[in-house]
Amino acid sequence: MKPELEDLFESILDGQMGDVSRQVQYALDAGIEPEVILNESMVPAMTEVGLMFEDGVCFVPEMMISARAMQAGLGILKPYLKEHGVKPIGKVVIGTVEGDLHDIGKNLVTMMFEGAGFEVNDLGVDVKPEVFIESIQTVQPQIVALSALLTTTTPKMKVSIDAMRDAGVLQNLKVMVGGAPVTAEFAQQIGADGYAPNASQAASLARSFIT
Amino acid sequence: MQPMTSRERFRAIVNFEPFDRLPLVEWAIWWDETIERWHGEGLDPSLKDRYDLYKHFGLEQYKQVWVPGMLPTCPQPATHGAPRMEMSMAAYEEIRPHILPEFIPQPSWTQWAEEQSRGDSVLWFTVDGFFWFARTLLGIEPHLYAFYDAPEVLHRINEDLAQWMLQVIDRLCEVATPDFMTFAEDMSYNNGPMISKKTYDEFMHPYYERVVPELKRRGIVPVVDSDGDMTVAAPWFEASGIKGILPIERQAGCDISGLRKNHPNMLWIGHFDKMTMPAGEAAMRSEFERLLPIAAQGGFIISVDHQTPPGVSLENYRIFLRLFEEYAIKAGAMSRDQLPRQTM
Repeated sequence: MKPELEDLFESILDGQMGDVSRQVQYALDAGIEPEVILNESMVPAMTEVGLMFEDGVCFVPEMMISARAMQAGLGILKPYLKEHGVKPIGKVVIGTVEGDLHDIGKNLVTMMFEGAGFEVNDLGVDVKPEVFIESIQTVQPQIVALSALLTTTTPKMKVSIDAMRDAGVLQNLKVMVGGAPVTAEFAQQIGADGYAPNASQAASLARSFIT
Repeated sequence: MQPMTSRERFRAIVNFEPFDRLPLVEWAIWWDETIERWHGEGLDPSLKDRYDLYKHFGLEQYKQVWVPGMLPTCPQPATHGAPRMEMSMAAYEEIRPHILPEFIPQPSWTQWAEEQSRGDSVLWFTVDGFFWFARTLLGIEPHLYAFYDAPEVLHRINEDLAQWMLQVIDRLCEVATPDFMTFAEDMSYNNGPMISKKTYDEFMHPYYERVVPELKRRGIVPVVDSDGDMTVAAPWFEASGIKGILPIERQAGCDISGLRKNHPNMLWIGHFDKMTMPAGEAAMRSEFERLLPIAAQGGFIISVDHQTPPGVSLENYRIFLRLFEEYAIKAGAMSRDQLPRQTM
């Protein structure tokens, strides 16, 4: 890895937002291709953050400051990526299901999706099935991700998936679910394609869906 | 063994001494939707008050005061989890007059004190803890950034909070000494604590060290209330002098056997898997069978792990209560064969 990219990698791990912005610009000015900056430094850094999270080395605040630093770098990089015709590796529509106002889990997953190179359309909380469907029809994602934090709202996941099926939008679409009361068994019962117990594994699962 | 009063029973279990039976306790009130469903299924519609419902269902009178840390004048968050203040010392100084007011117990505390003196009621109080309170001020996500972006603000909040808690304890004890108390934290989820031990040691432990000794000096059992899997964080709290943890959510992956083995002197409250309750008697009986050996050892008050959800029918809840009483008696009988044990 080029020294400029090594410093950038470390800065993302350390959550140093200001350093990341500066280092991305420095790497661009040094003539490093934007997709190289993204794929050989920034995305691997967030992957490393995810692994550290799974291993219990870093926790939610550390993941968040790393993701924030990543987003700061992406803010600098995106126009260059667009200019070079670099597309996101995939598109995701994500939301917390109807009746549920919790979003911290969903937001962590969104950060990790973006850190993995996905374009994410975040519908927010209390999302009705028809809103999911409309977004799927507009955005044409490869993945839709549903979040719920309450045992009383997890049934809305099935309602949403059934509505998507009835609307004919599940073709070429993977559905993944997650949240505190959600289990792999529940995900299977309601017809989801996958379940992830944490934000890091959600990003890994999403990557596996598009490869 | 002579029947114990509620207070005697609680104390015996906390101290790992023989007890007549487990207390029949709902530590958290039911969901509004649950009571509403039960009203539709034949529960007397006039039964709405928490303690009237306890009496109706034959549950023990564990009476709780949730001491508010905010005045009604405190700014309200725009949405769930949104901030009430910006992340700055100036913003905290601005909101300070609206939080942590001088505490004056309600008249009901005096009435409850009389019940407690007869042994009929166990009294407890709850305060927002050293993770929760800052979160309610800063907002869920800003609070998590604050450990890095504004540590001095968090320290200031918790310093004031600790000082306020000491005043709350003084005021409550002027009338009656609570039997236990809970620090509401909610700092864990299925994957364990949201923060690292390093963060806990810096931002929470020093403030527990200010308050917990005073609680213990007065004989008030300190308990932490945190949803999620508390396995990783349990030793942190134990090192801070915390005696117990609730609700020990089964769905979050908590395992009472492992917790008992690793923390033999800690008190556990809750842990009955609420997801068995809609499934019927066999599932509930199996769950009680799982919990019985640990409960018989003392130091474990079985209760629904969090609130009985609206998916549970009144009929199933009555089955739960019947089984609860059966196993409460069994646990008591077994305790008299096993206890007291030497506290390690």
